[in-house]
Amino acid sequence: MENLDYARLQMAFTLGFHIIFACIGMVMPFFMVVSHYKWLKTRNPIYKRLTMAWLKGVAIFFVTGAVSGTALSFELGMLWPEFMKHAGPIIGMPFSLEGAAFFVEAIALGFYLYGWNKLPEKFHWFTGVIIGVAGVASGILVVSANGWMNAPSGFEYINGEFTNIDPVAALLNPAWFTQALHMTLAAFVATSFGVAGIHAFQIFRKRNVELHTKAFKIAIVFGAIAAFLQPISGDLSAKDVAERQPVKLAAMEAHYETSKGAPLYIGGIVDEENRTVSNKIEIPKALSFLAFGDFNAEVKGLNDFPDNELPPVAIVHYAFQTMVGIGTLLMFAGLIYFISLRKKSWLQNKYYWLLFIIIAPLGFVAIEAGWIVTEVGRQPWIIHQIMRTEDAVTPMPGMKYSFFYYLFLYTILAITVTWLMNRQIKSLNQETSEEKGTGNTLKKSFKPTGGNKNKD
Amino acid sequence: MLYVVLFFLLFSLLLYVLLGGADFGAGIVELFSSARNKEHTRDTIYRVMGPIWEANHIWLIIMLVILWVAFPAYFNVMIIYLHIPLSLVLLGITLRGVAFVFRHYDAVLDKSQFWYNWLFRIGSFVTPVFLGMSFGALIGGEIIITEDYETYGFYDLFMQHWLSIFALLVGLFYAALCAFLASTLLIGEADGKARKHYAKNSAFFTIVLVVLGFILISYGYFSEIKFAEDFIHNPISLACVGLSGILLFPLWKFIKKEYRIASRYLAGFQVVLILFAALYAHFPYIIITAEKEISLLENLAPESTISNLAIMLLIGGFIILPGLFHLMKSFNMIKLLEKPEKD
Repeated sequence: MENLDYARLQMAFTLGFHIIFACIGMVMPFFMVVSHYKWLKTRNPIYKRLTMAWLKGVAIFFVTGAVSGTALSFELGMLWPEFMKHAGPIIGMPFSLEGAAFFVEAIALGFYLYGWNKLPEKFHWFTGVIIGVAGVASGILVVSANGWMNAPSGFEYINGEFTNIDPVAALLNPAWFTQALHMTLAAFVATSFGVAGIHAFQIFRKRNVELHTKAFKIAIVFGAIAAFLQPISGDLSAKDVAERQPVKLAAMEAHYETSKGAPLYIGGIVDEENRTVSNKIEIPKALSFLAFGDFNAEVKGLNDFPDNELPPVAIVHYAFQTMVGIGTLLMFAGLIYFISLRKKSWLQNKYYWLLFIIIAPLGFVAIEAGWIVTEVGRQPWIIHQIMRTEDAVTPMPGMKYSFFYYLFLYTILAITVTWLMNRQIKSLNQETSEEKGTGNTLKKSFKPTGGNKNKD
Repeated sequence: MLYVVLFFLLFSLLLYVLLGGADFGAGIVELFSSARNKEHTRDTIYRVMGPIWEANHIWLIIMLVILWVAFPAYFNVMIIYLHIPLSLVLLGITLRGVAFVFRHYDAVLDKSQFWYNWLFRIGSFVTPVFLGMSFGALIGGEIIITEDYETYGFYDLFMQHWLSIFALLVGLFYAALCAFLASTLLIGEADGKARKHYAKNSAFFTIVLVVLGFILISYGYFSEIKFAEDFIHNPISLACVGLSGILLFPLWKFIKKEYRIASRYLAGFQVVLILFAALYAHFPYIIITAEKEISLLENLAPESTISNLAIMLLIGGFIILPGLFHLMKSFNMIKLLEKPEKD
């Protein structure tokens, strides 16, 4: 493999890790404030315990998200210096706003973490809401920067020079809304099903069922609603891509021959050499309809694009199928939850919980797959139709080592976070079984291990 | 508008050097403490740094964003040639951050705490050294910018400028600066014996800082490093450093008399003077390569970008700074300072 391939691989891995940390850090505050709200309303200590447990999760993921985000902002420049040199001044706005949003989030988290029994209750709760809102805003802004790479705007490109730069137009590029909507919903789906799955596992093992059922309910409602909205947003995104990046759409669908009334392939094995797709299920005219809202619309196939502008087809196609497949599955899982609201007997059935345990990681798989579609599908461009990825890469040789170095860095981060979360959950169960829910335990469980020698 | 952007760039740099520096320094102080004092320092650090430590490193991101948005040509050179040392800084920040979280938020206390503690301490020391080395590499006059990969090897282009003695001295100097800041900060947070311990620490790091500063400048001067020469020949920079040195005497007096706020502000002000002296001597040429000097203000981003960024920064500043100040005020930092000490 060449320098470029390693640089791309490094970027892919870093983003792959970061997106998970970032999504969880973005969505978990919402669970936390709902639980906190219920505690304030009902004064049921279980809700307070749950709030505290989730708060620790939020703090852990915020910090890891911040660290991996810092590394990422360096990597953008280190790996793609030519891209940053030209794109930086154009898409600086979402990044500077994101910095501000992130700062607000950090400040709100500071207030929330250390504000128990110090701030007025309602204001304290409200700082929790700000954590969530600022987190989502950060996410949207970063996705807007990515949208610009897919739909470059806010400048004129004359003789290889970027002129007449309009940062606001770049921020509000044509792709920002559909991409941000899709990503935000995806974050909610993935995190909700992930968190719900963890609590389902505890219920399955009959540990502290009351607390974990409450937790499961809060998490799954977010996920189920988002999972129902996601196909609508997906449709908007597909139509967007069909219009602006037809080659990406063709790669997503492994659609080689330009045709009217194009069929939609489900599954299928892509042979990139011979440009054929075997073993697929064909749904006649569906692609034309999904892409353009017209059963007989013409969909341009990969064969009609220049060879040097084609992305890797197989990866994009498989990733796209994975994403859509999981999205559909999770929507049905959401449906099962809503039905179980009526059929309470399901909650006693262990297979019900087993289902939510099994699907817990799938949302994240779908997110990764979705990003593969967006990023690999845009290749060979780093800025669609403007700058090629190979022209943006760093002149420094030896990116192979850089790749392994960052892989090491992020693996440490991932392993430690997983381990830490595991210990948090274990300790949550231990405390509840040893000492039956008194206020003291709550305090103890929250108090950071370091600072307990000093009075408040 | 350019001045607004420059102001925020320097402001973030300053806050990163001060707050981030105190953050790193706390770990360094812990590293150089005896076993018993380590325990105590650990708890104090959590109490002082806890609420705001997440915010500290964001200044680094803000700086980075301002650089790449407004000063793309400058950023381009910096990021290509500092790829390796900055990657090491990132590893340090990551490991240190992870260790900090683990030792304070881990639900179970066991042997693994031992490793978190050491990781935190060593990370706290190594990271500012690499940061300083990166800066030293930028101003050391040894960067070679070329596309001639035949004549120059990997080491020549991407390693030698930050592995120079000068760069290493800058790195150690910055680490000492961090420790100096942190120990001065910690004095005000401790009682009785621990207090004496930090006072000793503070004196120790002050001496280290002065000695290192002296070695750094004389080494630079005698090895004919342009930056050091210009620094010495610049009366304002010299005056700033001199003033910073003289201010050590009132600082020691304040520490003895237990004026906590005054001693902190004074220590902070001394660091500001040093930073100002270093930047002033060569502003805006803050990259010095083997052949030329690269100005921060060369090949700026277009006017529309600069003014847009300036507006964003002003709005952000108005929202964030009061919040940050309030956070610091509401909780430990300032409140604890104002508490009268009980001995």
